[in-house]
Amino acid sequence: MAYSSSALRSISSLKSSAARSHASAIVPTKPSLLSFKLAQNPCLLTKTTSSGNFSGTKRSFSCRSQASSTENSRPVQELSVYEINERDRGSPAYLRLSQKSVNSLGDLVPFSNKLYTGDLQKRVGITAGICVLIQNKPEKKGDRYEAIYSFYFGDYGHIAVQGSYLTYEDTYLAVTGGSGIFEGVYGQVKLQQLVFPFKLFYTFYLKGMTKDLPAELLGKAVEPSPAVEPSPAAKACEPHAVIVNYTD
Amino acid sequence: MASSSYLKPISSHRLSNPRSQPHFQSQQQLGFAHSQAFATRHLKLSKAAHDQDHFSAKRCSKDFTTRAFFFNKKPKSPPVSPKPTKVQELSVYEINERDRGSPAFLKLSQKPQNSLGDLVPFSNKLYSGDLQKRLGITCGLCVLIQHVPEKKGDRYEATYSFYFGDYGHISVQGAYLTYEDTCLAVTGGSGIFEGVYGQVKLRQLVFPIKLFYTFYLKGIADLPAELLGNAAVIPSPSVEPAPAAKATEPHGIIKNFTN
Repeated sequence: MAYSSSALRSISSLKSSAARSHASAIVPTKPSLLSFKLAQNPCLLTKTTSSGNFSGTKRSFSCRSQASSTENSRPVQELSVYEINERDRGSPAYLRLSQKSVNSLGDLVPFSNKLYTGDLQKRVGITAGICVLIQNKPEKKGDRYEAIYSFYFGDYGHIAVQGSYLTYEDTYLAVTGGSGIFEGVYGQVKLQQLVFPFKLFYTFYLKGMTKDLPAELLGKAVEPSPAVEPSPAAKACEPHAVIVNYTD
Repeated sequence: MASSSYLKPISSHRLSNPRSQPHFQSQQQLGFAHSQAFATRHLKLSKAAHDQDHFSAKRCSKDFTTRAFFFNKKPKSPPVSPKPTKVQELSVYEINERDRGSPAFLKLSQKPQNSLGDLVPFSNKLYSGDLQKRLGITCGLCVLIQHVPEKKGDRYEATYSFYFGDYGHISVQGAYLTYEDTCLAVTGGSGIFEGVYGQVKLRQLVFPIKLFYTFYLKGIADLPAELLGNAAVIPSPSVEPAPAAKATEPHGIIKNFTN
């Protein structure tokens, strides 16, 4: 389905839908436990057809093997979060600056969504940034974006990332830095789409942190699937279901 | 820069306002055509009533003087001795002298109020912390994320760089809130800043004309004395660069300062 041409005709910001491709990726099986020095992290990704059918070609996808880190005494820390667009932030704002009918280089997509812990029990903050459309991929029925954005974790600080966002498959982005407890962080983050463009699941592989991640961010992650929802308390931002000064 | 019939004209011309305190109250109602006079002012907020000296240190860890990684407390990790990581502080002033056509407030959201979709490329001048030398420029992009009515300000996601002439540059990314101080991530650098990491504290003095930054840099060799300068001028709304620096006289600049 040519979501790309049909989805976006208007230029003004969209409250819902389709800056991103209609294709959604199945979350692969959980990666095996990481050793302290992240070597291989193989995971299977399943590409779906644009109709939303979850069956599709399987493709093995492994992140680059990490050279053993000699400058950091701490092991890699994994952090999982859910990014959910609840359509109440005016996001995304699809700026069709290319002035072409098909998604083209020149289109910009600023966005900001809500961020929840991996166990979907607490609201932690938001994501905020911009996707730069690079090219439309008709054969994949999707687009390539270059994304530069940050994940905000309230008083804990933020993590900045940059990398490719492909609407038709999962990607890895670079962790470029952070602030607060994430100061000095580096590594990469795996992006898995669950429901385009509303639900995404991220797994951060963080190095260079000077402290352990706080326990409230490390609850057992809910198995990613298109049907996941934040707990009602987290969604309502009730006091016990948010982190301190969660970013909003 | 894209421009089309549906896009309102994009203003990027120079400002010629007198240096009066901007009137922000009327910002929200200004259409884009009027934003020229106030575009720069509106970019970064400044209610005069705001206490500019207040810095919320929530997001910035106070452990800036930490010199060593903590021991890993997990029992199953292999014992490794901590590596000391020296943090170097670098203070600079970013000043908009309104002669670079900056900022260029692109009201692409086409809404009367600041909304997701507005983009603000910008470039200002960079001076040493003691305000004695012109170092270079800042340049980058602010992506407006949301307007925050209760704070009478906006949240931006900022991605930009600080250029230090022949010394190289530092790239940063993070939140810019027009109503309070923030910490941004240092994402990398070039020249003497190659391999740098850490964070930088942004402190607004006069919105959107003057900002004071304190970098907490790791992973690089000792910074040259010329950049560190003497003790930084205490940040306040009335700070001004030294006349020689402002005029880019030979003793008021670093070599090949970025312009």
